[in-house]
Amino acid sequence: VVPGETALAFYKAKNPTDKPIIGISTYNVIPFEAGQYFNKIQCFCFEEQRLNPQEEVDMPVFFYIDPEFVEDPKMANVDLITLSYTFFEAKEGQKLPLPGYQ
Amino acid sequence: MSTAMNFGSKSFKPRPPDKGAFPLDHFGECSAFKERFMECLRDSGYESGACRQRAMAYLECRMERQLMANEPLEKLGFKDLIDEKSEAKPEKS
Repeated sequence: VVPGETALAFYKAKNPTDKPIIGISTYNVIPFEAGQYFNKIQCFCFEEQRLNPQEEVDMPVFFYIDPEFVEDPKMANVDLITLSYTFFEAKEGQKLPLPGYQ
Repeated sequence: MSTAMNFGSKSFKPRPPDKGAFPLDHFGECSAFKERFMECLRDSGYESGACRQRAMAYLECRMERQLMANEPLEKLGFKDLIDEKSEAKPEKS
């Protein structure tokens, strides 16, 4: 991936149970300091998503790395950025605490 | 739960996506486009830049099926690919 160029990535999620699950996901970027340069244009995260029993879906993320990444001396040795998502089951009335989002 | 709890002084603050969330493609309407994109990635040794045409095709598929808000492709970082297309086909509206 070239900083400044938009890119597409796919994850896959499966609901292995026999009942529909409503999930919500949040993400993490490693190394931590690279997170500020990671810009999501669109993704499947933060909103509740329903997965039917046994359903498997592709989950796209459309993003770019801020071109200022190449100017940051702290990022000079970073050539691998890992984006991970964690799914939580959304419960009635529960809101994920997302600082700065609401 | 919630944000990662590091022992460092900073905590990771997730930011929402600029253009919001993709609805799920429950019926796999754009799976074929996704497969073509993934095939390109594998063939190119995972060079994202080599597969932008197919990435664009995937997003176009989503937009056509209301699985993504319509957005001019030039604004999604594909301006150079659009310009190439319109040079090749002068009648393209």
